[in-house]
Amino acid sequence: MYSSPVLYDQSETIKEKLAFNNKRKKHLIIYDQQALSDVKQALAAESQNDVDYEQFEIDSRNLHDLRALLYSQKMGTHLYIASDWDHAVTVFTEAVEAGFTEDEIQTIIYGPKRRYIYCMKCYQKSEINPEAETVQCVHCDAHMEVGPFFSKVRKGYIGYPFIPN
Amino acid sequence: MFKSTNLDMFTFPFTNFKNKTYRYSNDLVELSGDKVNFMKITPEYKAQIKRKREMLEKQPEVRYQSFPHTMEMQWEFVELLIDLSTAKYPEHFSVEKDGDQWTFTNHILEETEVFTFGDESSIDLEPYDMIGRHFHHDYMLMVNRDDNFYLEVAQESFAALFSPHWNLGMSFDEIHGPVPFVSRDGIDLVDRIRKFLLTIEPGVPRTRVNWNLMADRWDVNYETMDVWGPQREKVTPENAGELVHLRVEEQWFIRMPRSNAILFVLDTQFLPMEDLIKRPEWLEITYFNLADIPDYMAEYKGMAPFLPQTVEYLKNLIDSMKEKDKQEKGEEHFVQ
Repeated sequence: MYSSPVLYDQSETIKEKLAFNNKRKKHLIIYDQQALSDVKQALAAESQNDVDYEQFEIDSRNLHDLRALLYSQKMGTHLYIASDWDHAVTVFTEAVEAGFTEDEIQTIIYGPKRRYIYCMKCYQKSEINPEAETVQCVHCDAHMEVGPFFSKVRKGYIGYPFIPN
Repeated sequence: MFKSTNLDMFTFPFTNFKNKTYRYSNDLVELSGDKVNFMKITPEYKAQIKRKREMLEKQPEVRYQSFPHTMEMQWEFVELLIDLSTAKYPEHFSVEKDGDQWTFTNHILEETEVFTFGDESSIDLEPYDMIGRHFHHDYMLMVNRDDNFYLEVAQESFAALFSPHWNLGMSFDEIHGPVPFVSRDGIDLVDRIRKFLLTIEPGVPRTRVNWNLMADRWDVNYETMDVWGPQREKVTPENAGELVHLRVEEQWFIRMPRSNAILFVLDTQFLPMEDLIKRPEWLEITYFNLADIPDYMAEYKGMAPFLPQTVEYLKNLIDSMKEKDKQEKGEEHFVQ
Protein backbone atom coordinates (compact mmCIF):
# COMPACT_ATOMS: atom_id res chain seq x y z
CA MET A 1 0.00 0.00 0.00
CA TYR A 2 1.09 3.61 -0.43
CA SER A 3 2.23 4.23 3.14
CA SER A 4 2.46 0.74 4.58
CA PRO A 5 5.13 -0.07 7.16
CA VAL A 6 8.54 -0.95 5.75
CA LEU A 7 11.47 -2.66 7.40
CA TYR A 8 14.29 -0.24 8.12
CA ASP A 9 17.20 -0.31 10.52
CA GLN A 10 15.30 1.36 13.36
CA SER A 11 11.97 -0.39 12.83
CA GLU A 12 10.06 -0.83 16.07
CA THR A 13 9.61 -4.50 15.14
CA ILE A 14 13.34 -5.25 15.50
CA LYS A 15 14.24 -7.03 18.74
CA GLU A 16 17.53 -8.40 20.04
CA LYS A 17 16.24 -11.89 20.79
CA LEU A 18 13.27 -14.03 19.93
CA ALA A 19 10.64 -13.59 22.66
CA PHE A 20 7.20 -15.06 22.23
CA ASN A 21 4.22 -12.80 22.73
CA ASN A 22 2.04 -14.90 25.00
CA LYS A 23 -1.09 -12.89 24.30
CA ARG A 24 -1.36 -14.36 20.81
CA LYS A 25 -3.18 -17.53 19.84
CA LYS A 26 -0.63 -18.65 17.32
CA HIS A 27 3.06 -18.09 16.64
CA LEU A 28 4.37 -18.26 13.09
CA ILE A 29 8.16 -18.36 12.94
CA ILE A 30 9.86 -17.75 9.63
CA TYR A 31 13.63 -18.13 9.71
CA ASP A 32 16.63 -18.81 7.55
CA GLN A 33 19.58 -21.13 7.99
CA GLN A 34 21.49 -18.64 10.15
CA ALA A 35 18.74 -18.51 12.77
CA LEU A 36 17.97 -22.22 12.77
CA SER A 37 19.62 -23.23 16.06
CA ASP A 38 18.26 -20.22 17.99
CA VAL A 39 14.75 -20.95 16.75
CA LYS A 40 14.97 -24.64 17.72
CA GLN A 41 16.19 -23.63 21.17
CA ALA A 42 13.41 -21.10 21.68
CA LEU A 43 10.79 -23.61 20.60
CA ALA A 44 12.19 -26.29 22.88
CA ALA A 45 11.95 -23.88 25.82
CA GLU A 46 8.30 -23.26 25.05
CA SER A 47 7.38 -26.90 24.44
CA GLN A 48 5.29 -27.33 27.62
CA ASN A 49 3.00 -24.41 26.79
CA ASP A 50 -0.18 -25.23 24.99
CA VAL A 51 0.18 -22.74 22.17
CA ASP A 52 0.01 -23.26 18.45
CA TYR A 53 3.39 -22.92 16.68
CA GLU A 54 4.15 -23.09 13.01
CA GLN A 55 7.61 -22.76 11.48
CA PHE A 56 8.91 -22.21 8.01
CA GLU A 57 12.48 -22.10 6.78
CA ILE A 58 12.92 -19.64 4.00
CA ASP A 59 15.29 -19.96 1.08
CA SER A 60 15.29 -18.52 -2.40
CA ARG A 61 13.23 -21.40 -3.84
CA ASN A 62 10.13 -21.29 -1.69
CA LEU A 63 8.94 -17.68 -1.98
CA HIS A 64 5.67 -18.81 -3.49
CA ASP A 65 4.99 -21.05 -0.48
CA LEU A 66 5.89 -18.16 1.83
CA ARG A 67 3.21 -15.98 0.30
CA ALA A 68 0.59 -18.71 0.53
CA LEU A 69 1.52 -19.33 4.15
CA LEU A 70 1.24 -15.66 5.12
CA TYR A 71 -2.07 -15.17 3.35
CA SER A 72 -3.58 -18.26 5.00
CA GLN A 73 -3.05 -16.97 8.56
CA LYS A 74 -6.03 -16.06 10.73
CA MET A 75 -6.42 -13.14 13.14
CA GLY A 76 -4.39 -13.58 16.30
CA THR A 77 -1.24 -14.91 14.62
CA HIS A 78 2.01 -13.29 15.68
CA LEU A 79 4.80 -13.36 13.12
CA TYR A 80 8.46 -13.81 14.05
CA ILE A 81 11.09 -13.21 11.39
CA ALA A 82 14.58 -14.48 12.26
CA SER A 83 17.00 -14.15 9.38
CA ASP A 84 19.59 -12.02 7.65
CA TRP A 85 18.55 -8.56 6.44
CA ASP A 86 17.58 -9.42 2.87
CA HIS A 87 15.43 -12.39 3.83
CA ALA A 88 13.81 -10.30 6.58
CA VAL A 89 12.90 -7.57 4.08
CA THR A 90 11.33 -10.15 1.77
CA VAL A 91 9.25 -11.71 4.54
CA PHE A 92 8.31 -8.36 6.12
CA THR A 93 7.14 -6.91 2.81
CA GLU A 94 5.08 -9.99 1.98
CA ALA A 95 3.60 -10.02 5.49
CA VAL A 96 2.48 -6.41 5.26
CA GLU A 97 0.93 -7.17 1.87
CA ALA A 98 -0.91 -10.05 3.52
CA GLY A 99 -2.33 -7.70 6.16
CA PHE A 100 0.06 -7.97 9.12
CA THR A 101 0.59 -4.76 11.10
CA GLU A 102 3.82 -3.76 12.88
CA ASP A 103 2.21 -4.75 16.21
CA GLU A 104 1.97 -8.32 14.93
CA ILE A 105 5.56 -8.68 13.70
CA GLN A 106 8.79 -9.28 15.58
CA THR A 107 12.04 -9.19 13.63
CA ILE A 108 15.41 -10.54 14.70
CA ILE A 109 18.21 -9.68 12.32
CA TYR A 110 21.30 -11.86 11.90
CA GLY A 111 24.28 -9.96 10.58
CA PRO A 112 24.36 -6.30 9.49
CA LYS A 113 21.29 -4.16 8.88
CA ARG A 114 21.06 -2.04 5.77
CA ARG A 115 20.49 1.70 5.82
CA TYR A 116 19.34 3.89 2.94
CA ILE A 117 19.41 7.63 2.38
CA TYR A 118 16.98 9.63 0.24
CA CYS A 119 18.72 12.49 -1.55
CA MET A 120 16.70 15.70 -1.39
CA LYS A 121 18.51 17.02 -4.48
CA CYS A 122 17.81 14.22 -6.97
CA TYR A 123 15.07 12.29 -5.10
CA GLN A 124 16.90 8.98 -5.40
CA LYS A 125 17.69 6.39 -2.77
CA SER A 126 21.06 4.80 -2.08
CA GLU A 127 22.55 2.46 0.49
CA ILE A 128 24.95 3.99 3.00
CA ASN A 129 27.24 2.89 5.79
CA PRO A 130 25.07 2.85 8.95
CA GLU A 131 27.80 4.69 10.84
CA ALA A 132 28.22 7.55 8.34
CA GLU A 133 27.15 11.06 9.38
CA THR A 134 27.73 12.63 5.97
CA VAL A 135 27.75 10.95 2.57
CA GLN A 136 27.89 11.83 -1.11
CA CYS A 137 24.96 10.85 -3.30
CA VAL A 138 25.95 8.08 -5.73
CA HIS A 139 23.43 9.40 -8.25
CA CYS A 140 24.02 13.18 -8.31
CA ASP A 141 27.19 13.65 -6.19
CA ALA A 142 25.45 16.04 -3.77
CA HIS A 143 26.96 16.10 -0.29
CA MET A 144 24.41 15.15 2.34
CA GLU A 145 24.12 15.07 6.07
CA VAL A 146 22.28 11.93 7.18
CA GLY A 147 19.15 13.18 8.91
CA PRO A 148 17.35 11.36 11.71
CA PHE A 149 14.00 11.05 9.93
CA PHE A 150 12.78 8.14 7.86
CA SER A 151 10.06 8.15 5.21
CA LYS A 152 8.06 4.98 4.63
CA VAL A 153 7.01 6.31 1.25
CA ARG A 154 10.57 7.19 0.13
CA LYS A 155 12.07 4.24 2.04
CA GLY A 156 15.14 6.08 3.27
CA TYR A 157 16.48 8.58 5.78
CA ILE A 158 16.42 12.21 4.76
CA GLY A 159 19.64 13.49 3.19
CA TYR A 160 20.08 17.19 3.92
CA PRO A 161 22.17 18.74 1.14
CA PHE A 162 25.14 20.90 2.07
CA ILE A 163 28.14 22.47 0.37
CA PRO A 164 31.39 21.25 1.93
CA ASN A 165 33.89 23.87 3.08
CA MET B 1 10.56 39.35 -2.83
CA PHE B 2 7.09 40.70 -2.14
CA LYS B 3 5.96 42.05 1.18
CA SER B 4 2.65 43.01 2.74
CA THR B 5 1.85 46.57 1.74
CA ASN B 6 -1.53 46.91 3.41
CA LEU B 7 -0.66 46.58 7.08
CA ASP B 8 -4.32 46.42 8.06
CA MET B 9 -4.36 43.04 6.26
CA PHE B 10 -1.11 41.82 7.81
CA THR B 11 -1.51 39.28 10.60
CA PHE B 12 0.78 40.52 13.34
CA PRO B 13 1.81 37.40 15.28
CA PHE B 14 2.84 38.59 18.72
CA THR B 15 -0.44 38.97 20.48
CA ASN B 16 0.91 38.21 23.94
CA PHE B 17 1.62 41.85 24.68
CA LYS B 18 1.70 41.44 28.43
CA ASN B 19 4.45 38.89 28.72
CA LYS B 20 6.56 40.26 25.91
CA THR B 21 7.69 36.70 25.39
CA TYR B 22 6.84 33.85 23.05
CA ARG B 23 6.71 30.10 23.69
CA TYR B 24 5.14 27.19 21.87
CA SER B 25 1.61 26.42 22.88
CA ASN B 26 -1.49 24.72 21.62
CA ASP B 27 -2.95 28.00 20.54
CA LEU B 28 -5.60 26.80 18.14
CA VAL B 29 -8.68 28.89 18.61
CA GLU B 30 -12.16 29.01 17.23
CA LEU B 31 -12.67 31.58 14.49
CA SER B 32 -14.94 34.53 14.68
CA GLY B 33 -17.74 34.32 12.11
CA ASP B 34 -16.14 36.73 9.65
CA LYS B 35 -12.89 34.75 9.52
CA VAL B 36 -14.27 31.27 8.88
CA ASN B 37 -13.89 31.97 5.17
CA PHE B 38 -10.10 32.05 4.68
CA MET B 39 -10.17 33.74 1.29
CA LYS B 40 -8.18 36.98 1.30
CA ILE B 41 -7.28 39.05 -1.72
CA THR B 42 -4.52 41.52 -0.88
CA PRO B 43 -2.67 44.02 -3.11
CA GLU B 44 -0.02 41.28 -3.54
CA TYR B 45 -2.45 38.76 -5.06
CA LYS B 46 -1.11 38.83 -8.62
CA ALA B 47 2.53 38.70 -7.51
CA GLN B 48 1.78 35.77 -5.22
CA ILE B 49 -0.06 33.78 -7.89
CA LYS B 50 2.65 34.46 -10.44
CA ARG B 51 5.31 33.12 -8.11
CA LYS B 52 3.23 30.14 -6.98
CA ARG B 53 2.58 29.06 -10.55
CA GLU B 54 6.25 29.50 -11.49
CA MET B 55 7.21 27.20 -8.61
CA LEU B 56 4.66 24.59 -9.66
CA GLU B 57 5.75 24.75 -13.31
CA LYS B 58 9.48 24.62 -12.61
CA GLN B 59 9.46 22.16 -9.71
CA PRO B 60 6.33 20.05 -10.01
CA GLU B 61 7.82 17.15 -7.99
CA VAL B 62 8.90 19.47 -5.19
CA ARG B 63 5.77 21.60 -4.95
CA TYR B 64 2.88 19.24 -5.57
CA GLN B 65 2.33 15.67 -4.41
CA SER B 66 -0.70 13.41 -4.15
CA PHE B 67 -1.68 9.77 -3.91
CA PRO B 68 -3.76 8.41 -6.80
CA HIS B 69 -6.63 7.34 -4.55
CA THR B 70 -7.37 10.93 -3.42
CA MET B 71 -9.45 12.07 -6.42
CA GLU B 72 -12.78 12.15 -4.63
CA MET B 73 -11.28 14.27 -1.85
CA GLN B 74 -9.66 16.50 -4.45
CA TRP B 75 -13.04 17.27 -5.97
CA GLU B 76 -14.42 18.08 -2.54
CA PHE B 77 -11.54 20.55 -2.20
CA VAL B 78 -12.38 22.10 -5.60
CA GLU B 79 -15.96 22.65 -4.48
CA LEU B 80 -14.86 24.18 -1.17
CA LEU B 81 -12.50 26.69 -2.76
CA ILE B 82 -15.02 27.71 -5.38
CA ASP B 83 -17.78 28.11 -2.79
CA LEU B 84 -15.61 30.19 -0.44
CA SER B 85 -14.12 32.43 -3.11
CA THR B 86 -17.41 33.19 -4.87
CA ALA B 87 -19.15 33.82 -1.54
CA LYS B 88 -16.56 36.28 -0.26
CA TYR B 89 -15.45 37.94 -3.49
CA PRO B 90 -18.33 37.70 -6.00
CA GLU B 91 -16.76 40.61 -7.88
CA HIS B 92 -13.57 38.58 -8.44
CA PHE B 93 -14.77 34.97 -8.76
CA SER B 94 -17.89 33.39 -10.22
CA VAL B 95 -19.16 29.94 -11.07
CA GLU B 96 -21.84 28.56 -13.33
CA LYS B 97 -23.05 25.05 -12.65
CA ASP B 98 -25.03 23.24 -15.30
CA GLY B 99 -25.36 19.81 -13.75
CA ASP B 100 -21.82 18.44 -13.66
CA GLN B 101 -20.60 21.02 -16.16
CA TRP B 102 -18.91 23.77 -14.14
CA THR B 103 -17.43 27.02 -15.38
CA PHE B 104 -15.28 28.84 -12.84
CA THR B 105 -14.12 32.34 -13.72
CA ASN B 106 -11.29 34.23 -12.07
CA HIS B 107 -12.05 37.83 -13.05
CA ILE B 108 -8.82 39.25 -11.60
CA LEU B 109 -6.68 37.11 -13.90
CA GLU B 110 -9.35 36.93 -16.62
CA GLU B 111 -9.19 33.13 -16.69
CA THR B 112 -11.87 30.49 -16.98
CA GLU B 113 -11.76 26.83 -15.95
CA VAL B 114 -14.35 24.65 -17.67
CA PHE B 115 -14.64 21.09 -16.41
CA THR B 116 -16.94 18.18 -15.63
CA PHE B 117 -17.15 18.00 -11.86
CA GLY B 118 -15.86 14.61 -10.69
CA ASP B 119 -14.17 13.77 -13.99
CA GLU B 120 -10.39 14.16 -13.94
CA SER B 121 -10.16 13.57 -17.67
CA SER B 122 -11.89 16.91 -18.26
CA ILE B 123 -8.85 18.88 -17.01
CA ASP B 124 -5.09 18.79 -17.64
CA LEU B 125 -3.94 19.02 -14.00
CA GLU B 126 -5.21 17.12 -11.00
CA PRO B 127 -8.31 18.87 -9.58
CA TYR B 128 -6.56 20.02 -6.37
CA ASP B 129 -3.61 21.39 -8.30
CA MET B 130 -5.85 23.13 -10.85
CA ILE B 131 -8.02 25.05 -8.38
CA GLY B 132 -5.17 25.67 -5.93
CA ARG B 133 -3.33 27.67 -8.58
CA HIS B 134 -6.02 30.37 -8.40
CA PHE B 135 -5.33 31.12 -4.73
CA HIS B 136 -2.14 32.11 -2.98
CA HIS B 137 -2.37 29.80 0.04
CA ASP B 138 -0.53 26.55 0.54
CA TYR B 139 -2.86 23.60 0.99
CA MET B 140 -2.23 20.32 2.81
CA LEU B 141 -4.88 17.61 2.97
CA MET B 142 -4.50 15.28 5.92
CA VAL B 143 -6.59 12.14 5.99
CA ASN B 144 -7.95 10.96 9.33
CA ARG B 145 -7.12 7.31 10.02
CA ASP B 146 -6.59 5.43 13.31
CA ASP B 147 -6.74 8.63 15.40
CA ASN B 148 -3.99 10.20 13.35
CA PHE B 149 -3.70 12.39 10.25
CA TYR B 150 -1.76 11.38 7.14
CA LEU B 151 -0.58 13.82 4.50
CA GLU B 152 -2.06 12.65 1.20
CA VAL B 153 -2.18 15.76 -0.99
CA ALA B 154 -0.05 18.92 -0.76
CA GLN B 155 0.45 22.02 -2.86
CA GLU B 156 3.06 24.30 -1.39
CA SER B 157 5.10 27.30 -2.45
CA PHE B 158 6.31 28.76 0.85
CA ALA B 159 8.07 26.05 2.82
CA ALA B 160 9.37 26.34 6.35
CA LEU B 161 11.30 23.10 6.73
CA PHE B 162 8.58 21.22 4.98
CA SER B 163 8.46 19.40 1.66
CA PRO B 164 5.40 17.84 0.03
CA HIS B 165 7.74 15.38 -1.67
CA TRP B 166 9.42 14.29 1.55
CA ASN B 167 6.44 14.51 3.90
CA LEU B 168 3.93 12.71 1.66
CA GLY B 169 2.25 9.84 3.47
CA MET B 170 3.59 10.83 6.89
CA SER B 171 1.47 10.99 9.99
CA PHE B 172 1.02 14.21 11.95
CA ASP B 173 3.50 12.87 14.53
CA GLU B 174 6.10 11.92 11.94
CA ILE B 175 5.93 15.33 10.26
CA HIS B 176 6.50 17.05 13.60
CA GLY B 177 9.16 14.59 14.72
CA PRO B 178 11.91 17.22 14.79
CA VAL B 179 10.02 19.76 16.89
CA PRO B 180 11.08 20.43 20.48
CA PHE B 181 7.40 21.04 21.07
CA VAL B 182 7.23 21.08 24.81
CA SER B 183 5.09 23.56 26.65
CA ARG B 184 6.15 25.53 29.72
CA ASP B 185 4.72 22.66 31.78
CA GLY B 186 6.71 20.03 29.87
CA ILE B 187 3.72 18.62 28.00
CA ASP B 188 4.17 16.99 24.59
CA LEU B 189 2.40 19.49 22.39
CA VAL B 190 2.40 17.47 19.16
CA ASP B 191 0.32 14.79 20.83
CA ARG B 192 -1.97 17.34 22.41
CA ILE B 193 -2.50 19.18 19.12
CA ARG B 194 -3.16 15.91 17.28
CA LYS B 195 -5.83 15.02 19.82
CA PHE B 196 -7.27 18.49 19.51
CA LEU B 197 -7.45 18.20 15.72
CA LEU B 198 -9.55 15.05 16.15
CA THR B 199 -12.25 17.17 17.76
CA ILE B 200 -12.62 19.63 14.88
CA GLU B 201 -16.05 19.41 13.32
CA PRO B 202 -17.28 20.39 9.88
CA GLY B 203 -18.27 24.05 9.67
CA VAL B 204 -16.27 25.06 12.74
CA PRO B 205 -12.67 25.49 11.56
CA ARG B 206 -9.86 26.44 13.89
CA THR B 207 -7.00 28.80 13.38
CA ARG B 208 -3.59 29.59 14.74
CA VAL B 209 -0.79 31.92 13.79
CA ASN B 210 2.77 30.74 13.39
CA TRP B 211 5.77 32.95 12.71
CA ASN B 212 9.41 32.81 11.79
CA LEU B 213 12.20 35.01 10.51
CA MET B 214 13.68 34.56 7.07
CA ALA B 215 16.95 35.91 5.77
CA ASP B 216 16.39 37.06 2.21
CA ARG B 217 14.36 33.96 1.31
CA TRP B 218 10.82 33.10 0.27
CA ASP B 219 11.05 29.66 1.66
CA VAL B 220 13.46 27.31 3.36
CA ASN B 221 12.84 23.79 2.16
CA TYR B 222 14.97 20.70 2.60
CA GLU B 223 15.79 20.62 -1.11
CA THR B 224 17.64 23.94 -1.00
CA MET B 225 19.34 23.71 2.40
CA ASP B 226 22.75 23.94 0.77
CA VAL B 227 21.73 27.32 -0.65
CA TRP B 228 19.95 29.05 2.20
CA GLY B 229 22.02 27.56 5.01
CA PRO B 230 25.09 29.68 4.26
CA GLN B 231 22.98 32.71 3.19
CA ARG B 232 21.85 33.18 6.77
CA GLU B 233 25.41 34.15 7.72
CA LYS B 234 25.38 37.30 5.60
CA VAL B 235 22.97 39.17 7.88
CA THR B 236 24.50 42.07 9.82
CA PRO B 237 22.93 44.63 12.17
CA GLU B 238 23.21 47.08 9.26
CA ASN B 239 21.42 45.04 6.58
CA ALA B 240 18.97 43.11 8.78
CA GLY B 241 16.22 45.68 8.21
CA GLU B 242 16.12 44.92 4.52
CA LEU B 243 17.16 41.23 4.45
CA VAL B 244 15.32 39.80 7.43
CA HIS B 245 11.57 39.37 7.11
CA LEU B 246 8.98 38.55 9.67
CA ARG B 247 7.28 35.56 8.09
CA VAL B 248 3.77 34.95 9.35
CA GLU B 249 1.71 31.88 8.65
CA GLU B 250 -1.96 32.25 9.38
CA GLN B 251 -3.26 28.70 9.52
CA TRP B 252 -6.73 27.23 9.16
CA PHE B 253 -7.74 23.68 10.08
CA ILE B 254 -10.93 22.65 8.31
CA ARG B 255 -12.81 19.37 8.65
CA MET B 256 -13.97 18.26 5.21
CA PRO B 257 -17.52 16.98 5.67
CA ARG B 258 -17.55 14.19 3.09
CA SER B 259 -14.05 12.72 3.38
CA ASN B 260 -13.59 13.59 7.07
CA ALA B 261 -10.05 14.76 6.19
CA ILE B 262 -8.54 17.89 7.72
CA LEU B 263 -7.58 20.58 5.25
CA PHE B 264 -4.67 22.64 6.47
CA VAL B 265 -4.56 26.08 4.82
CA LEU B 266 -1.57 28.41 5.15
CA ASP B 267 -1.62 32.10 4.33
CA THR B 268 2.03 33.16 4.34
CA GLN B 269 2.81 36.86 4.70
CA PHE B 270 6.09 38.75 4.82
CA LEU B 271 7.11 42.03 6.40
CA PRO B 272 10.70 43.30 6.34
CA MET B 273 12.11 44.40 9.69
CA GLU B 274 12.56 47.95 8.37
CA ASP B 275 8.79 48.27 7.76
CA LEU B 276 7.98 47.64 11.42
CA ILE B 277 8.64 51.31 12.03
CA LYS B 278 5.38 52.06 10.24
CA ARG B 279 3.69 50.61 13.34
CA PRO B 280 5.91 51.66 16.29
CA GLU B 281 3.97 49.45 18.72
CA TRP B 282 4.67 46.40 16.52
CA LEU B 283 8.34 47.35 16.39
CA GLU B 284 8.65 47.38 20.17
CA ILE B 285 6.71 44.16 20.71
CA THR B 286 8.70 42.36 18.03
CA TYR B 287 11.93 43.52 19.62
CA PHE B 288 10.90 42.31 23.09
CA ASN B 289 9.80 38.94 21.75
CA LEU B 290 12.87 38.30 19.61
CA ALA B 291 15.26 39.38 22.37
CA ASP B 292 13.76 36.68 24.56
CA ILE B 293 13.82 33.66 22.21
CA PRO B 294 15.55 30.70 23.87
CA ASP B 295 18.41 29.05 21.98
CA TYR B 296 16.61 25.76 21.31
CA MET B 297 13.73 27.59 19.64
CA ALA B 298 16.06 29.78 17.57
CA GLU B 299 17.84 26.62 16.42
CA TYR B 300 14.63 24.82 15.54
CA LYS B 301 13.23 27.77 13.67
CA GLY B 302 16.51 28.09 11.77
CA MET B 303 17.04 31.70 12.82
CA ALA B 304 19.95 31.18 15.22
CA PRO B 305 22.66 32.41 12.79
CA PHE B 306 21.02 35.82 12.32
CA LEU B 307 18.83 36.39 15.35
CA PRO B 308 21.38 38.43 17.38
CA GLN B 309 22.03 40.77 14.42
CA THR B 310 18.28 41.21 13.93
CA VAL B 311 17.70 42.00 17.60
CA GLU B 312 20.52 44.55 17.48
CA TYR B 313 19.03 46.13 14.37
CA LEU B 314 15.64 46.47 16.06
CA LYS B 315 17.20 47.94 19.20
CA ASN B 316 19.07 50.52 17.12
CA LEU B 317 15.88 51.31 15.21
CA ILE B 318 13.94 51.86 18.44
CA ASP B 319 16.74 54.02 19.85
CA SER B 320 16.85 56.16 16.72
CA MET B 321 13.04 56.44 16.73
CA LYS B 322 13.09 57.59 20.36
CA GLU B 323 15.94 59.99 19.70
CA LYS B 324 13.99 61.47 16.81
CA ASP B 325 10.89 61.84 19.01
CA LYS B 326 12.94 63.56 21.67
CA GLN B 327 14.42 65.95 19.18
CA GLU B 328 11.03 66.75 17.71
CA LYS B 329 9.63 67.39 21.17
CA GLY B 330 12.68 69.48 21.99
CA GLU B 331 12.15 71.51 18.88
CA GLU B 332 8.49 72.03 19.76
CA HIS B 333 9.56 73.16 23.21
CA PHE B 334 12.11 75.54 21.67
CA VAL B 335 9.48 77.00 19.34
CA GLN B 336 7.14 77.60 22.26
